[in-house]
Formats: sequence, C-alpha cells, structure tokens
Amino acid sequence: MSENNIKIQRNLWENPWGYIESFFIGIGLIITGLFLEVFSTSNNVFTLSYPYNVIFLIGYIVVLFVLYKWFTNSQIIRWLTKVPASISSIVLVTVLVMIMGIIPQIPSENKIINNLGLNHITSNWAFLLILFQFLTCLGLISIKRILQFKWSNFGFVLNHTGLFLALTAGVLGTGDLQRLSINVYEGKPSWVATDQQKKEIELPFAFFLKDFLIDEYNPKLALVDNKTGSIAHNDGKNLYLVEKGETYYFNNFEVKIDNFLSNAIRFGMRYEAVNEIGSPPAAKVTVKNIENDSIKTAWISSGSFRYPYESLKISKEYSVVMTIPEVKKFSSDIDILTKEGERISTVLEVNKPFKYKGWKIYQLSYDDKMGKWSNLSVLELVKDPWLPLIYIGIFMMIAGAIYMFWMGNKITKNQE
Amino acid sequence: MTWIDFPLYSSIIVILWFIGLVFLLISYKKQAVLKIANLLFVSGWAVMILFVVKLWIELDRPPMRTLGETRLWYATFLPLIGFVTFIRWKYKWFLAYSFIMASMFLAINYLNPETYSKTLMPALQSPWFIPHVLVYLFSYAVLAASSIVAIKGWFDSYKGNFNIETLKLADNLVYIGFAFLTLGLLFGALWAKEAWGHYWTWDPKEVWAFLTWMGYLIYIHYRYFHAQKSKQALTILALAFVVLLVCWFGVNYLPVANTSVHTYTQY
Repeated sequence: MSENNIKIQRNLWENPWGYIESFFIGIGLIITGLFLEVFSTSNNVFTLSYPYNVIFLIGYIVVLFVLYKWFTNSQIIRWLTKVPASISSIVLVTVLVMIMGIIPQIPSENKIINNLGLNHITSNWAFLLILFQFLTCLGLISIKRILQFKWSNFGFVLNHTGLFLALTAGVLGTGDLQRLSINVYEGKPSWVATDQQKKEIELPFAFFLKDFLIDEYNPKLALVDNKTGSIAHNDGKNLYLVEKGETYYFNNFEVKIDNFLSNAIRFGMRYEAVNEIGSPPAAKVTVKNIENDSIKTAWISSGSFRYPYESLKISKEYSVVMTIPEVKKFSSDIDILTKEGERISTVLEVNKPFKYKGWKIYQLSYDDKMGKWSNLSVLELVKDPWLPLIYIGIFMMIAGAIYMFWMGNKITKNQE
Repeated sequence: MTWIDFPLYSSIIVILWFIGLVFLLISYKKQAVLKIANLLFVSGWAVMILFVVKLWIELDRPPMRTLGETRLWYATFLPLIGFVTFIRWKYKWFLAYSFIMASMFLAINYLNPETYSKTLMPALQSPWFIPHVLVYLFSYAVLAASSIVAIKGWFDSYKGNFNIETLKLADNLVYIGFAFLTLGLLFGALWAKEAWGHYWTWDPKEVWAFLTWMGYLIYIHYRYFHAQKSKQALTILALAFVVLLVCWFGVNYLPVANTSVHTYTQY
C-alpha cells in the first residue's frame, strides 16, 4: 500500500466507526455468546419474570434515554445511532435466524449443534446479545426521532417504535407467559391443568364438559393401487367428496354413488343407517368399466375404530376405497364453575377462544382415535400479561405499513 | 365447474395474452396498436377473474389453501401490478414481463393438475384467512416484480447504460411490497393468537417469513443511506428474493419442514 493511500484511507477504529468495525463488534458479540453456550453448565433458559422484567424494561428505556440525552458525544453512542451499526445488526440477526430456519429446533444428536446451542437459537446467548445490540440501536433511533419530532417522520417513528415495543415486550414477556393444557371429559368437572414442563397446576375454577361435538366432511372416494396400497392419483387429480347421486371418473372407470349413509353398519348384504357409537360412513357404488362395459355394484365403507373398512376391487390393479372423513369443525360446550358457585356457559371452537379472568381458553384437540365419538376434549389456557404492549407495537407497525404504502411513492415522486 | 375446466380457461387466457404480447412488440414500431394489445390483455384478465370467482363459488371455500391455488392468485395479481406500473412509469418491458410471468404460472398449474379437495381444516376457518393470504400473495407478486427490475438493472449496467430510474422503480415496488409483507406478517401474528394461543412460535414458515422481511429491510436501509451504490443494492434485492422463494416453496424441502404447522398441501 502506498503512502498516499494510507493517508486517504481511514484507519481501523478511527472516528467514525464504519461497516468493518460494526461487523467486528457484532461478530464479537456472537462469538462471546457462543463461548457462553459452550462453557455455561446450566441448562436453564435465561428468562426474566415479573417483577424483574418490568424493572428491566423501565431501566432499559431510562438508560437509553439518558445515553441519548447526555452521552451523544461518546464514541459508542454515536456509533449505535448510525447506519453501519443498524445494518450490521440487522444482517447478523438475520444470519442467526437463518440458522434457526435450517437446523430443526429440537434435541439433537450432533455434538457441534448441541455444544453451540444451535438447536435453541431463541434462547442462545449469541442471539440474545446480538438482539440486544439490535434493540439498542432501534431504541436509540426511536428516541432520537421522537425527540426531534417532525410530521414527515411520522411513519418512521411508528415503524421503529412499534417494532421496538413489540420485540422488547415479546422477549421480556416470555418469562410471564403461561400456557397450560387440560383434559376435560364429558360429564365430569376438571380443574387440574399441566404446564409445558408437565407440572400439574390446580386452577381456581373448574371446567364441566357438557358436550363435545365434531362436524365432519363427507368422506372422499379414492382409487388405490392394489400392489402398493397407495393412492393412485388419477392423472394427479385428487380425491372426490362422496355425495349421493354424483358420478366420478377414475381412469377408464365410471363410478356412480347410488347411496350414502354417514353412520351405518353392515346387515348381511347391505348397510343400514344406525345411530351407534363407532358406526362408520358407507356408500353403495356402481362401477362401470368403460372399456368392456362390465358393471360392479357394492357397498364400501371407511371403517372406524370399531368396524373394519371395506373396499371394492374393480380390476387387477385398482380398488375403490373410501377415506376416513376429515374434520370440519370441533367444539366443546362447557360450563366454567367458580369457587363462589358461579356457572358460566360457553362454546369453545378452534379460532374462537373465550376470555376469562385474564386467561384465554382455546379448543386444542380431542381423542383422535375415537374421532367424533370422543368424549375427551383438550383445552388450552394462555395467560400473557404483556400482550397489550405487544399489540400496541403491532398496531403501530400496521399503521406504519399503511403510511409507508401511501407515502413511499409520494416521496420519490417529489424527488423527480 | 372446478379445476376440470381450467385447461379451457387457461388456454383462452394465454392465447389472448400471447396475441396481446405480439401487438405490444409491434407497438415499439407503431404506437397505435398498443391499444389493441391492452384490449387483449384486459379481456384475458377478465376471463381470469371469471375463473377465480367461479372456482371460489364452486369450492365453497376461499381457493387459497394449496400451492396451485396460490399460483392462480399470483397469475391474477401480476397483470394488475403490470398495468398499474405501466400507467405510472410507461415501461412496456415491464408490462410484457408481468403477462409472461402470469402465463408461466398458468402453465405450471396446467402441468400439475390440482386437487379437487373442498375440505378446509378447522384452523384455517377464520376471518383472518383471506386478508392474511391475499395480502401476502399481493406482496410476493410485487416483490417478484422488483427482482425482475433488479435483473434488468444488472443487465443494463453490464452493457454500460444503467439508468438510476430503474432503481427508483425497484424502490417503489419494494416499498409497496414491503408494506404489504409487513401487513401479512402482522395479520398472521394476530390470527395465530386466536387460533394457536400464541402470536409467534418460530414455526419454520414464520422463521422464513421473518427472514424475508429482514431481507427487504436490509435493502430499504441500504438504499436509504447509500443512494449511489446501485450494484450492491441490486445484489441485496436479488438475494432477498431468493429468501422469499425459500419461504414460499422451499420450506417444505428443508430439514425443519416436519416441525411446521403451515404445511397444508400434502393432500
């Protein structure tokens, strides 16, 4: 390198810090974090819970404010409010999240993955440290733009502050997040739930399941390869819903559905509609081979946990089968019983949770072996006291996105 | 009327658009025929809308569940974006691109016949379903358009006649696309809270959606502060689109796929 060049080039760590220094610091943080992962012996996930997370949040914001207000002259603070620090931390957070998107986040046999904690990125020290730098940049910049508020910065403030709030509250809120599941049986009160560590927790109220209901779609008709037992895809086109009177075409077969019963049992040569636990759907089909006009008629059934399935062999290669019906809707008709003797009735359904005393109660699952005859309903209870803060952040970002959509164009138009 | 009629409809659409493209090409020499080209494009698009509407009614559920159905929406949105961009920026090549891409998606759907499945699992039965998916697909279509602009930019600067206007077009598309990407992501979070009890669970699809968002975030910040470094910006834009493609198609093939709740397409 010539003398001239050195004079023009800025030295490393000379003011102001640029991209090289920023990535140097960021990667340094990541390496520090990975060292912590390798050498820390405790398997406990680092989380803060109430009241420490609230104290931390308030302290963090106060510190950021003080730093911005009185320490802007210091090298580090000036660096943190500049672009290279932001972009480098966005890039490095992206890199770590990408690892999470490639390596399954489940217990692993691989030594490297295990030691570096690459299968639990969200609680990995490397991730927490770089996220901390990212949030610090974001926080300082938000404070800066709020204090120097101009209407033209409105979208900027919404987007940056919203993201800061949502992310910080999300990270700090994990310590207070409670997710419990509870098995509720028809005709019996239940009040003992289990948390994610399989620990039993007694609830201050009980659930009484009056009725568990499943709505099903009709079963589907499929062509199955007799040799492999797998579904032959009829030119890649898929399965048909069984409906009385419909005619479908599979390869050179014309399949007509003469009759369909959603709950039926075989009586001799035929199926009859019944109302009995475990009675499967059944259909009478007429299959015509278009090539040689031969006709076959038979009853087929998808079977259930109590009764076997029945298919119809239509040629050497293929059989017609009925698939097990898919679930359309499942819901629990429950009463919530309090110690004070109150009784609150509600119906829980997927996508329709019920709010009660700070809990959100969800329909989670049921005994899928029993299907629509299940008398077990699994409910989930979630309590997330940080949710309002996260929602404020999310709605600020939604407003910011709409602003961006609207103004993004105008700004460029004005520049023309 | 379901996907059975798709070959018929898609051929009508593609033929109309193809003739339109020929007229568009002629219009470089003879400006007057541009109107004929536009007429053909619009009538093809009208047929497209007719098909989507009929399919929706027939399926009795929003046709947004499978990859094939999302490709159909993509083919619907691209021409719209092409037109709006054309009206605003007068780029004929961009109009041509959007119709060629839309035709390509129709061709892919023609070669991979779709499921006739009418069923929709309980988790997807929500008022959030339609806004979440539509906003996302619109955003993907706009961002795909921006990456084509990036390729054109690369090509131009390789030939030495790069125009900063090209990058401004890319910026506009990214801003619109990113705004919708943000909305899609946040609608997804709000929906997840209603359906699964938590707004963010780092499900593989969520991870890659977040990465896509971060990719375009990098582009926007880079462009904002380094307005003159066009080549680096174009590279970032192209890379961000690769991440988007992984999110859209690729997640199913990654080792993380079987831990995802977003794989609705096995049947």
